[in-house]
Amino acid sequence: MATTQPQAAPKKFVVPIGPQHPALKEPGHFEIAVDGEIVTSASARLGYVHRGIEKGVEGQNWAQAIYMLERICGICSHVHATAYAIGVEKLAGVTAPPRAQAIRVLVAELERVHSHLLWLGVAAHEGGFDTLFMYSWRDREIVMDLLEDLTGNRVNYSANVIGGVKFDVTDAQKDAILRGLEILEERTKHYLKVATTDDTFIGRTRGIGTMTAEQAQLLGAVGPTARASGVARDVRADAPYAGYPDFPVEVVVETAGDLEAKVVARMRELFESYRVIREILAKLPPGDLSVKVKARVPAGEAISRVEAPRGELFYFLRSAGGTSPDRVKVRTPSLCNWASVLTLAPGHKLADIPMMIAGIDPCFSCNDRLVTLRRPGGDQTMTWAELRRYGIDYYRK
Amino acid sequence: MDLETALSRARELLEPLGAAVTRPGPGRIDAVLSREKLIHAVGALKDARWGYLSAITGLDHPAPTPKKPAPGAAEAAPLPPAENLIEALYHFSEGAAVVTLRVTVPYSDARLPSICGLVPSAVLYEQELAEMFGVTVEGIPVTGHLLLPDDWPAGQYPLRKSFTGLPRAGA
Repeated sequence: MATTQPQAAPKKFVVPIGPQHPALKEPGHFEIAVDGEIVTSASARLGYVHRGIEKGVEGQNWAQAIYMLERICGICSHVHATAYAIGVEKLAGVTAPPRAQAIRVLVAELERVHSHLLWLGVAAHEGGFDTLFMYSWRDREIVMDLLEDLTGNRVNYSANVIGGVKFDVTDAQKDAILRGLEILEERTKHYLKVATTDDTFIGRTRGIGTMTAEQAQLLGAVGPTARASGVARDVRADAPYAGYPDFPVEVVVETAGDLEAKVVARMRELFESYRVIREILAKLPPGDLSVKVKARVPAGEAISRVEAPRGELFYFLRSAGGTSPDRVKVRTPSLCNWASVLTLAPGHKLADIPMMIAGIDPCFSCNDRLVTLRRPGGDQTMTWAELRRYGIDYYRK
Repeated sequence: MDLETALSRARELLEPLGAAVTRPGPGRIDAVLSREKLIHAVGALKDARWGYLSAITGLDHPAPTPKKPAPGAAEAAPLPPAENLIEALYHFSEGAAVVTLRVTVPYSDARLPSICGLVPSAVLYEQELAEMFGVTVEGIPVTGHLLLPDDWPAGQYPLRKSFTGLPRAGA
């Protein structure tokens, strides 16, 4: 990008940032060209956590692939498994029972709550407001505990199987979730008030990184990043999947388009998530948790779209009629939203860039999806059997 | 725009370009296009403000390995050698509707025009398509690796079916 400036001897300095990331504890590399303190251009280099998952699942059977795909993201693992399971169900011509669909939504919304609270902490930290960061992460533990109680895990919930879900919700768990939501709702009200009234925080968010609805449309932004700019784009409402036809969500739209609007949009979405979770717990449909699906999936192609906490998650699946996928294409929401940061960065102060990057809530593992493993012997790859052996030996020690 | 309106609108936009339009599933339209018509099709969708670019999927279609004739069978006339193909799918979403523009190119002439002039956000998807499938995207504003390491060997395309890992060191 630095070579495309037509002016003679422009006063420009390129600041390389990363792969140690300026905003989040994940790797990405940015080259920010500045004139004085003002950014003139920005470019990104991804791939530091590329793990070859799309290729990897081609060697797995349909059920094994779930476990690998769920590990694409350490924050929104459930949406990956959900998108994949729904896609495979489409190919196999089966539908998961209503109770399973509702539990999928229940876990998805709890996941959204944890993800948005995590983001609020990160955004507060980038804005120099560490008190808000500490408090929001403390409160996030409430929903993490609920998820662990429900699924057995804090992050990789492993709720989905092809054809349904693995576990039911007990009455005790229902009560625990309702109690947790009460506290979280109060806290969210408080954070919304703080984020919109605290002068120092507003100084870092109001009028910064403003994206108009027109730009959001053109740049293909998704999720809260688009909705904070007045673009009512939400797969849960546009193309309801899983339990969303029975438990519809209202799309939260903010119009200002700046970082403050991104904070407000996410906080308001939390209230909508709390409402949906309560409704599901009150009206959980009776019935089975899963249907049987054959190991061989008929040949065909399916597209499965779900709304991750960061926006539309897109899966394209292709079966050649065998026991493993022929192709799994994953397009994560962060990939859509990069363009918005890189395009809007010029004209801003360098110090605003970390906040703007944090503003889209980027997820690097999601972008990258594929890592080369280096072992002392010089080998760069492990076969499935070697990896399994390695795992067994590791735990035997 | 409701689902059926969106789909029939997309059909009206794409059929005049000579696209073979099918309905592969609920809410979906596939339009098979020639490489030359891709830009026109993307432009038509964009001008009509039909949705946004959701993703670009690459598919590798290696030529099937010819079967050995059964022993004793009459020597069949040799078929023309089947070609290895790469297919690029451009998925556009509008509400619940998804339109997929499908363009197929052979390995021997794996070139596609960049759509970044119309859809700037396509650059990351096109870079991915280029490095994973070995498609030359003509006119892409940013070249170089996006996801693979800088020292990744030339001519190795991980998402082609023939790729089973880099040669091991010392092998």
